[in-house]
Amino acid sequence: MKNRLRVLRAERGWSQQDLATRLEVSRQSVNAVETGKYDPSLPLAFRIAALFGMAIEDIFLWEESQ
Amino acid sequence: MGMGLKGGAVQRRYFCRLFGSGGLYLAATFAANRLLDRDAPLSVANVAIALLPGLAVLGMIWAIARLYIEIQDEYLRMLEVRKAMFATALTLAICSVWGILEMFTTVPELPLFWVFPIWCFGLGFGGLWNKLTLGDAGCA
Repeated sequence: MKNRLRVLRAERGWSQQDLATRLEVSRQSVNAVETGKYDPSLPLAFRIAALFGMAIEDIFLWEESQ
Repeated sequence: MGMGLKGGAVQRRYFCRLFGSGGLYLAATFAANRLLDRDAPLSVANVAIALLPGLAVLGMIWAIARLYIEIQDEYLRMLEVRKAMFATALTLAICSVWGILEMFTTVPELPLFWVFPIWCFGLGFGGLWNKLTLGDAGCA
């Protein structure tokens, strides 16, 4: 699943570790989500959305082919 | 390796439990080896001494189980579960195939004692598999 996490993080000037600390997850988790290697659970997706003040579907992009 | 805000404590507890049980295992195995012959008669005392290393193995299995329960970071937990699945598949494959070889040929017997060490080696290979496929080995 594609996502806009890297762009949103960069817009705020946060490092992966900054975002990880805010989400209370590991930096590896942030990297895995950003690079599309790992799709987060619904609770973590909600936490990410809440942190950026956006809806989940504005951050994570579903494609029909998936 | 960072594990999130509380992950370091989880990792420390895991290694304390694992190495504590591992140390107990070495000491109990050494003691059983010194106190018992290979063909020691079946008595309560002998069985109790021979069971001590087994209890230490249970301690190591408990330490691994607690790690899976206590990891809060879902990605790192997935990595550890993938390692365990890889280790289980490898252990089942080796033990099943070797067991069939034992049944039909004269290959030496594989003592059941080796099942847990094989599984632990499998965890290492599982970490390598994680590293090659996802870029992260795991957290333990």
